[in-house]
Amino acid sequence: VAKTSLTSPPWPEAKLPDPVEEAKYHAEVVQKVNKMIAAGQYGRLFAVVHFASKQWKITSEDLIMMDNVLEAECGDRIRMEKVLLVGADDFTLIGRPLLGKDLVRVEATVIEKTESWPKINMRFRKRHNYQKKKIIVNPQTVLRINTIEIFPCLS
Amino acid sequence: MVLLSAPRWLRSRLTDRFWRVQEVLKYARHFRGRKNRCYKLAVRSVRRAFVKSTKARREKKRILRALWITRIGAASLEHGLKYPAFISNLLKSQVELNRKVLADLAIYEPKTFKSLAALAQRRRQEGFLAALGDGKEPEGIFSRIVHHY
Repeated sequence: VAKTSLTSPPWPEAKLPDPVEEAKYHAEVVQKVNKMIAAGQYGRLFAVVHFASKQWKITSEDLIMMDNVLEAECGDRIRMEKVLLVGADDFTLIGRPLLGKDLVRVEATVIEKTESWPKINMRFRKRHNYQKKKIIVNPQTVLRINTIEIFPCLS
Repeated sequence: MVLLSAPRWLRSRLTDRFWRVQEVLKYARHFRGRKNRCYKLAVRSVRRAFVKSTKARREKKRILRALWITRIGAASLEHGLKYPAFISNLLKSQVELNRKVLADLAIYEPKTFKSLAALAQRRRQEGFLAALGDGKEPEGIFSRIVHHY
């Protein structure tokens, strides 16, 4: 049969590696990473955490400010549970979409609960004698990320 | 004796005009020209400044998202993928990182971004293989089973 523009798909044909060999390779990599975590051969860890309806990329000794009220007093330790990604220099653990609670532990302390600077909301329409001015002050919370820990329970 | 209305010889004088004017001028001190000193010009400029800042607060979200998208697109091109392919394949592999975090990873964690690009590329190839075909004929229309989950 003659080759037309529609005989082969427009994307380049790519072969996937053998599933059995791939499974072996995956198991090896997982064991290696587990050993590295158990031996503690990582430097600074960073994590991507979903908190207060936003995603933050955090490390230890980080300050975070959110535009809302937390129901925790100043000085309370908080554990952040929705961790999407954890990484170090040599490996990253990507969650689909979240990582397990027995794998990562992110601790933070509430430092400050203040109000934001007074933001001015103004509306104006020219020639129609219409103007409104409103001053908005949002409550804010400042958290300090104390530690990010990982445990060697990969499978 | 209680007087219900004030007598005509009592007049009210404005005594804090200075402070009312300063309230407006304090927002105009860093402007250029006479509008940082003269009240009449300053009132107009300050009003325009407030209105522009309220509108800009809504535009800022759009501008930042567009910036993140260009950055992620540029970073994924370095690894041989275009932005739509990268994002769609990441979402299909159930990795729900938003564009802000992806842009930060592309800048500060290049190795992590490379691994994410490889993940998206692999998912893309698996998608192509799945689209090409099982090679089976579709079953009859009336004998197809509909699944409601």
